[in-house]
Amino acid sequence: MNNHLKALRESRGWTQGNLADQLGVSRQTVNALETGRYDPALPLAFRIARLFDKPIESIFIPDDADVTTER
Amino acid sequence: MHDQGPMVTRILDTYLATPHTWYMTNKLDSNDHSAGDRAVARSYQLDFWPGIAAYAVVLTAVLLWGDLDGSSPWRFVWAVLPVIPSLWIVRAVLRHAKRVDDYQRLLLLQALGGGFAVAMVASVTVAFLEIAGMSFVGIGWIIYGAGMLGWIVTSIVVARR
Repeated sequence: MNNHLKALRESRGWTQGNLADQLGVSRQTVNALETGRYDPALPLAFRIARLFDKPIESIFIPDDADVTTER
Repeated sequence: MHDQGPMVTRILDTYLATPHTWYMTNKLDSNDHSAGDRAVARSYQLDFWPGIAAYAVVLTAVLLWGDLDGSSPWRFVWAVLPVIPSLWIVRAVLRHAKRVDDYQRLLLLQALGGGFAVAMVASVTVAFLEIAGMSFVGIGWIIYGAGMLGWIVTSIVVARR
């Protein structure tokens, strides 16, 4: 899954550490989110959406593989 | 009275166009730990290091007065004494796992899984070699070392992936 987290964070002038503290996660987790290595669980995704005052779907963009139902 | 607005705007424009912007961009990309990271690390250390210190004290006592090579039945009690501070260390790791966020818990679980897998493979390998007639001294320590090494290596690999 892709996301706009880095752009949103930088638009607020926050470091990864600032954002991590506001979300209650580690800086390592913020870095993993921004680089797409980790997709957040729903509670964290909602916290991110609330913090940036944006809907979840405008922050996180699913890949084709995320939305396909084939296994 | 003069309108100060355009002058303030010019000052702000100049300020934002200076290397300050360049500095901030780099600052935003810094790898500094957050305040939350430091708090979690501090809590873990407060849990972990007393266990290590107690382990060192008990181990020293066992080596000095345990007489593990002797014939006293108490030597078995002395031999298992270091397990008590070891349990404290296990408690510290479990409390740390509860304290960290989901992603860090995933990394911790993967690292522990790597260590467990290496320890299991080591124990099975040693067991088959023993069946084949090979003898080992300090077999438990070999498996312990393999497991710890597996844990450490997997921790580094999953954190850098």
